Amino acid sequence: MSEHEELSFEQALKRLEEVVQRLESGETSLEESLRLFEEGMALKKLCTEKLERARAAIKKLVESQGGTIEEQEFDVSDLSAQE
Amino acid sequence: MSFYPETPLLSVAELTAHIKALIESDEVLADVAVRGEISNYKLHTSGHAYFTLKDEHAALSCVMWRLNVAALDFQPEDGMQVIAYGRVGVYERQGRYQLYVEDMKPAGLGELYLAFERLKKKLETEGLFDPARKRPLPRFPRAIGVITSSTGAGLRDILTIISRRFPPAQLYVIPALVQGADAPPSLIAAIKLAEKFAKLDVLIIGRGGGSMEDLWCFNDEQLARTIAACPIPTISAVGHETDFTIADFVADVRAPTPSAAAEMVVPDRAELLQRLRAYGERLATALEGRARQAEAALQGLLARRCLTHPEERLDRELQTLDELCERALRAVLHGNELRARRLASASAQLLALGPQQVLNRGYSIVRRAEDGAIVRSIKDIEPGARADILVSDGELESQITAVKERRR
Repeated sequence: MSEHEELSFEQALKRLEEVVQRLESGETSLEESLRLFEEGMALKKLCTEKLERARAAIKKLVESQGGTIEEQEFDVSDLSAQE
Repeated sequence: MSFYPETPLLSVAELTAHIKALIESDEVLADVAVRGEISNYKLHTSGHAYFTLKDEHAALSCVMWRLNVAALDFQPEDGMQVIAYGRVGVYERQGRYQLYVEDMKPAGLGELYLAFERLKKKLETEGLFDPARKRPLPRFPRAIGVITSSTGAGLRDILTIISRRFPPAQLYVIPALVQGADAPPSLIAAIKLAEKFAKLDVLIIGRGGGSMEDLWCFNDEQLARTIAACPIPTISAVGHETDFTIADFVADVRAPTPSAAAEMVVPDRAELLQRLRAYGERLATALEGRARQAEAALQGLLARRCLTHPEERLDRELQTLDELCERALRAVLHGNELRARRLASASAQLLALGPQQVLNRGYSIVRRAEDGAIVRSIKDIEPGARADILVSDGELESQITAVKERRR
């Protein structure tokens, strides 16, 4: 499962689609089928977890005097307060 | 008869038709914008409007058909400065050329509109709106840039919608001015910043609704060129659904509103979760099917070559195998993958054990030659019948000479 931890959501979903298709092809051995099932379930879990994370992180990009880009915290509630 | 034999003699209709053909084949006259003051404006009961456009030096008869009049978003009046768009044609009956007006704007607005159309045409000719230039948006963006005013309601809507629909996305707000003369350079600087940041895989540029003048900065030529040249796929989201700006034409995708941009830039979480659940079910179904298929193959094998001399140990093994298959299926259905894997490898081992192993150990299988049925009992075959005897490395064709019951 650790092999999946670095995957982006898109990569994980794509791999999951491949795994489902391969398992559904019925062309794999019982042993391989079980391995695919395990991998697929792990990918499903990973994707679900990524989706269920509470909320997207929001940052503000600002260019400093020296021309470097700074990532600053951005609070949406500030936004509402300003109106 | 002509007084001047050299000169062709024409009827009035012929001459007028000639003039009409000349005027109406002219490319400039076929699509003109004319600035002038309205006078003698008359709206006929038919719905058509008749008026004159004039300035200090000249006057021009104008006609505007009912449908075009109905489409106007202002009330024309005498003395009003306007820009009229249309074509010049000839009304033969009165020997008069006139402007057939298709659209009309009050002059102030009309000039903005004219500048807009000119820039639009220019950029279009350069191929900047070419559909082939448009890049698809990423299906699952990881980092989304939002260039807009950092105080507007538009931004709050975008951020709320994206973080609700697709939490894996990382959002980067790049503040910029979105109104007034300073807006275009500010927007351009923000786009350059986004490019330099190099992590974004999609960019939303926009602002909430406002007057035509408020949104005007999105019609800036340099801004349009910067958007067109931006290596990141861009979505324009300016004003309301009915507002079109040059930025909309050069962006890869135009969103009718900032909220709509937020909805199109990310997939919907609820939909994705449902898809993931469906994948989970398909995995379980497929594995169950595969296990059942293996079990059926095994059962078929056992039924076909089932051993005539049920021997205690083999019975035990077969029973174990049945159990294992059952348990493997159950394990799979309950998602207990580890157990399922152990059981499956045990099943595989048992499968390898199979009838061949039994035959190797010296047992044999007798089948009736006529129908291949396995002979389990002396009642299954009669003396004189032909039988095939299956041993470890082949078959023996034979004939039964006698049948004796075993004494208990």
